[in-house]
Amino acid sequence: MRRKASWLRWFEERYDIDEIKNLAKSKLVPSHKYECWYFTGGIVLFLFVTQFISGMVLALYYVPHGDFAHKSIIDIVTKINAGWFFRSLHHWNAQLAIVVAFIHLFSALLLKSYRKPRELLWVSGFILIGTSIFFGLSGYFLLWDERAFAAVRVATGGAGNLPLVGSFIKAFLRGGIDVTGETLTRFYAFHVSILPLVTLFLIVMHLFLVQYHGMSVPLSLKHKTRGDIPFFPNLFYKDLIIWLVAFGMVVTLATFLPPEIGKKADLLAPAPENIKPEWYFLFLFQTLKLFPGTILGLNGETIAIVLVSLAIVFFFLIPFFDRKSARQEMSRLFTWIGTIYLAYFVVMTIIGFFS
Amino acid sequence: MIRIIILFCFIITLASSRVFAQPENIEVFPSAPYDRYIIYEMLALFRVGIIGLIVIIRMKLKEIERIQFMGLDTAEKEIPLLD
Repeated sequence: MRRKASWLRWFEERYDIDEIKNLAKSKLVPSHKYECWYFTGGIVLFLFVTQFISGMVLALYYVPHGDFAHKSIIDIVTKINAGWFFRSLHHWNAQLAIVVAFIHLFSALLLKSYRKPRELLWVSGFILIGTSIFFGLSGYFLLWDERAFAAVRVATGGAGNLPLVGSFIKAFLRGGIDVTGETLTRFYAFHVSILPLVTLFLIVMHLFLVQYHGMSVPLSLKHKTRGDIPFFPNLFYKDLIIWLVAFGMVVTLATFLPPEIGKKADLLAPAPENIKPEWYFLFLFQTLKLFPGTILGLNGETIAIVLVSLAIVFFFLIPFFDRKSARQEMSRLFTWIGTIYLAYFVVMTIIGFFS
Repeated sequence: MIRIIILFCFIITLASSRVFAQPENIEVFPSAPYDRYIIYEMLALFRVGIIGLIVIIRMKLKEIERIQFMGLDTAEKEIPLLD
């Protein structure tokens, strides 16, 4: 009989490994024709982990100061061994994480995974998407080039158009009246300490709730599942395969399409022409373009921001409005609402990208 | 005339300096052919490794599913043991 490794014996003397193994084996996942959407959450988790690691590597060399930030990034890309790769990996990993997070969100919406008793799962996931987007915006600004500078000026200016709280949010984000070096310090703090802690807390909460409630089965398939399959090892191995595919994709994109670095931000220069925000803000950018300067004597941009904010708040509160799904009944109205949201987001993003 | 030539030269110098002072595109990818060759070679090896791992995990998963299908993964209850 083969002897156990000494480190394993050391662990077994202190912890009940068999019980942990049995717990892992007892977790079952329903198998049905929409089970592929379960994997999107796992991909986001994997990309978040990769993002944290590549971010830690970059943080070793980045200098968060208006005078040195841009140069430190050039140094990372041109002087540090494989620095270009880690920066590119961090960039593409973030893009893919947000794409998959949106897919995960819309799949949860259309499969009604938010219905009772999983409302808090939806809430934690929705806030996670919000933090991911803010991660993207703050990370983009750390580049301290003229495009990032103009994008943050527009984004924080847009937030400033919200009635009552707008000016406070704008001043809080900018750390002053305008976007300056103070804003860079603030965004760096958000990007490397505040947002990671909030994200970590939300991920733990989200995962705990997934374990607590189990995986949601769509109402239309309630009695048509193919039975349950064990998470470990079946689903875990499938997850591993998908993570490897995702990692291969990110590394390939990072190698073939490293992101450009623009000119250093000039606080006094006008915004460059044809400036566009990051792709996940394009639907918002395009919506703002639809509104005229003034509507009935009121600021058109303020009205647009208020309407978009209301639409986002409604989206966030869908689990509490969709009473039919809460009663485990089919709810076509909210399927249509979800489809309209998805179509609007996709169409406006595409128009914004090509305009 | 000399003043005009000096002024002309000054304008040309200023204009050309403005043109050449435009910051060059920052190299975000190693430009040396040798470095590029090494990077693409590493990427190809990495892809082979990824595909290899996927094939191994897939084979392992198939084997587990086959064992589960045959019911060999669960221990029989009250099985007589030889001491």
